[in-house]
Amino acid sequence: MTYYRMALGAATVLALAIPAKAQDKTLTIAGSGGVVKEITEKVFLPAYEEATGWKTNFVAAESNIMLEVRTMLASGKMLYDAMEVSASNYPIGVKDGLLAKIDYDLLDPNGELPEKAKKEFGVVAAAYSTVLVQRLDKNPEGRKIESWADFWDVETFPGPRSLNRQPQYTLEFALLADGVATDDLYDVLGTEEGLDRAFAKLDEIKDHIPVWWTSGAQSVQLLSDGEVFYSSTYNGRVTKLQESGIPAEIVWNGGALHTSYVGIPKTAPNYEAAHDWIRIRTMRPDLEIEYVKQLPYPNFAPGLFDQMSEDMARNMPTYPENAEVQFVANDEFWAANIDHIRERFDEWLLE
Amino acid sequence: MKFRQILWLFLPATLLLVAFIAAPSFDLFRASVFDPDFTTEHFERLINRSVYLDVMWRTIRVSLTVAVLCTLIGYPVAFFINLQPRRRQTLLLFLILIPMWMSILIRTYAWIVILGRDGLVNQMLAMLGLATEPMQMLYTSGAVLAAMVQILLPIQILTCYAAMTEIDFDLIRAARVLGARPRQALARVFLPLSLDGTLTGLVIVFMLSMGFFITPALLGGRQDTMIANLIEFQVQRLNWSFAAALGVVLLVLTVGMIVALRGAGKLLARRVLKGGL
Amino acid sequence: MSVADLSFNQVTKRFGKVVALDKFDLDVAPGEFVTFLGPSGSGKTTALNILAGFAAATEGDVRIGDRSVVNLPPEKRNVGMVFQSYSLFPHLTVFENVAFPLRLRGTRGAALTARVIAALEMVHLGDYAARMPSELSGGQRQRVAFARAVIFDPPVLLMDEPLSALDLKLREQMQLEIKRFHAQIGCTIIFVTHDQGEALTLSDRVAVMRDGQIAQVGSPQEIYDRPNSQYVAEFIGRTNLFRLNAGQGGTWTIDGLGVTMPPVRGANATNTLLSVRPEKIRPVDSDEAGQVSFDARLTQVIFQGDHVQYEAVSSGGSPLYFQDYRGPGTHLMKRGEQIRLGFDPGDAVPVARDVA
Ligand SMILES: Nc1ncnc2c1ncn2[C@@H]1O[C@H](COP(=O)(O)OP(=O)(O)O)[C@@H](O)[C@H]1O
Ligand SMILES: [Mg+2]
Repeated sequence: MTYYRMALGAATVLALAIPAKAQDKTLTIAGSGGVVKEITEKVFLPAYEEATGWKTNFVAAESNIMLEVRTMLASGKMLYDAMEVSASNYPIGVKDGLLAKIDYDLLDPNGELPEKAKKEFGVVAAAYSTVLVQRLDKNPEGRKIESWADFWDVETFPGPRSLNRQPQYTLEFALLADGVATDDLYDVLGTEEGLDRAFAKLDEIKDHIPVWWTSGAQSVQLLSDGEVFYSSTYNGRVTKLQESGIPAEIVWNGGALHTSYVGIPKTAPNYEAAHDWIRIRTMRPDLEIEYVKQLPYPNFAPGLFDQMSEDMARNMPTYPENAEVQFVANDEFWAANIDHIRERFDEWLLE
Repeated sequence: MKFRQILWLFLPATLLLVAFIAAPSFDLFRASVFDPDFTTEHFERLINRSVYLDVMWRTIRVSLTVAVLCTLIGYPVAFFINLQPRRRQTLLLFLILIPMWMSILIRTYAWIVILGRDGLVNQMLAMLGLATEPMQMLYTSGAVLAAMVQILLPIQILTCYAAMTEIDFDLIRAARVLGARPRQALARVFLPLSLDGTLTGLVIVFMLSMGFFITPALLGGRQDTMIANLIEFQVQRLNWSFAAALGVVLLVLTVGMIVALRGAGKLLARRVLKGGL
Repeated sequence: MSVADLSFNQVTKRFGKVVALDKFDLDVAPGEFVTFLGPSGSGKTTALNILAGFAAATEGDVRIGDRSVVNLPPEKRNVGMVFQSYSLFPHLTVFENVAFPLRLRGTRGAALTARVIAALEMVHLGDYAARMPSELSGGQRQRVAFARAVIFDPPVLLMDEPLSALDLKLREQMQLEIKRFHAQIGCTIIFVTHDQGEALTLSDRVAVMRDGQIAQVGSPQEIYDRPNSQYVAEFIGRTNLFRLNAGQGGTWTIDGLGVTMPPVRGANATNTLLSVRPEKIRPVDSDEAGQVSFDARLTQVIFQGDHVQYEAVSSGGSPLYFQDYRGPGTHLMKRGEQIRLGFDPGDAVPVARDVA
């Protein structure tokens, strides 16, 4: 219960720290620290303040943000008006009823946002993908990997490979390689036979994976050092790899698209004003382009790609052609099933 | 002083031991059987799945191999140093100590540079025309062994050296003048007298190996997972109780093996001392 | 029982600039007990090490029996050795320690056991075969070391200050035992000590060493009674040294005593010191013919039970000391008493003054 107490403590400190000036209209937004906070403060917050005349208070959550929200809900004093919701937190927020529904009539009366961007309790704020990356220079003459099935084809594409040492998405990739359609992935994975099928497929590739990566940095390092020729990794890291002169190329086909959201906690004091913030954060291509230049995690702001060069746009996970061939990672599924699948996965690795 | 009064003098040391060893060990054990209610499921899982038994067995096997290799290499090196003039001994010991100032992490990374597909060894093999395809050396058991031996070797060298410097040189002279050829003096006097220290070094290296995790994690494949790696994984997965159960197993195995090694050492010593060799 | 003679011929040993042995020459007869006696640093251990093969001579030859051993490793020289710190193998039992040289020589089984037990019985340790060295007293360890050194019947036995770690009583007892062992075994023994009493007690001959050379070699009596130098005279026992001045007709005057002496053997231009042992000086009633006598005043009386040590100053101002063995009818003199002392010129030995 240490976390609970920590969150309670944090909340108390917060409550004391925020000056209670009723006349100042202030929107409190919770999010992560670091670069995201920096860019948000530079790009989005001023735009919001200018557009609405409100002040903003951006709080970088110290500990687990969902715990904080849970604590505030329980105490009856919600301090946040809007919050970043990570892919893995979204299903928790939904399941535990921590998030308020988004009012799309209020947010997007003209229906400009694509369906992919709209969730019941959040709007896609950023997206990244777990994709297959190949070292073009290691490919056999005139051949190129185009799918997970190719990744599994060690005859045509010999050489060491790597995958994430986590069952999430790795099992999806195995099923894709085994011919499961993107739309059916989670239906198949949800059954015991489907799970067996995924592991059976992994058995095939097991001996060709000398190393299972445990961090994104490690995965690109392995590709960069030539320790492996093919690996899954996060799309955001590939640009750096290419810039360092490594002939690496993303295979978007079969990538796992992860989306994180902005949402509104239940009982937020400024529910309507929060929608204005969400609109600024998710629907302004002119602002989003600044963000994307710093962090390669775009969202579905309408017309975003008109702001970019063709090359840059093609490297975006949300670029229509790329988004089309990927599947949306189902974090609800993983939230519900991770425990027993992970146990099996860990033990399978040791076999 | 009365005996009772003397007992009080042990209090600080006892408290220290309780605070830093006994209490955490107890806490570890408690965490392994309360999750949050009393349960033996974690231990059952460990015993019922062959994969975990494999990992335990491997951990012992790797640690033993490392300890024996360190001894086979470290003993002659220590012997060689012991033969040098005083000044040079100091220099050599200093050189041997240098790597110990570097973190295990850095030394492990150095092995990645050496053993990689584009690493030093493969480049050399290619240059000499000995291999057309790079050899897979990284992420193999061999890589783990090599690095662990390299990392732990100084400890065994120093322990052996310390044991050797304790030996009165007149004993060797006595053996010689009583009729022993150099080798016989070595086998019948020097070796037995340095045996105890060497075994101590072996046990220390073994003990440290049992808890290794950075090196197998970075240089080994999935087939090189050791108990400490499992613990680290389970901690990351927030499976505290299972991690604790693994911790208990590691503790018990280590202590058990040390007792066994000590026993085996005593037996060996008795055979050697009986003039067996 | 085997025995051999041995010899050092012009052996020099240098450690860099330090000359530890300087043209060292010595012949030892078979079965002889020779002691190297000298202060620390005089080269005793070095000489022994060269004999044992632990150190190589820089120059010169060493022979044991009829062969040169300079090129032989220690194990080929077939000499026994007892070390100062005993150097028993701490990991072996008393039995195995003593059996060690035999095992190396291929003796096995009943023959081995019998010889080891016999050797242990010779040193009165028959019951201690199963003990570890750490379970023995100093004297017992010494005896084990001795048994181990002689069990393989070496013609030559080397002992480097073997008794120096023992207390006085034990030392004296061990000296007697060593003498007894020597009589029993008969091998040639080279014994190193810095204790002159020990050297006198044990040896057939004593080699008094100084700066890597032999200052004098001879029987204990020769060394004691006829020292050839101030160094030897002072090193062995205590002595009074008086200055000699040549007088008329071959006579000599003794500084400080103010007496003239008839010609004495060995007195010449270089030997200008007269060594007179304290036990040779005694109170005299009247001047006896042929005696050298002089007046003195007692300055110190040290009562030692069986004898008394007196310190005195001659009327000429020379300090001297003498001993009285309290034969029948002698009485104890008092400090401050004026007395007349005398000695027989035949008991006085002229020696050369040391060039310091
Ligand atoms: N290994 C050595 N290195 C340098 N000098 C030595 C060595 N051994 C002996 N000496 C020197 O040689 C001289 C004789 O030493 P040593 O034979 O041990 O004398 P002793 O045994 O009579 O005390 C001493 O001046 C000593 O310092
Ligand atoms: Mg000496």
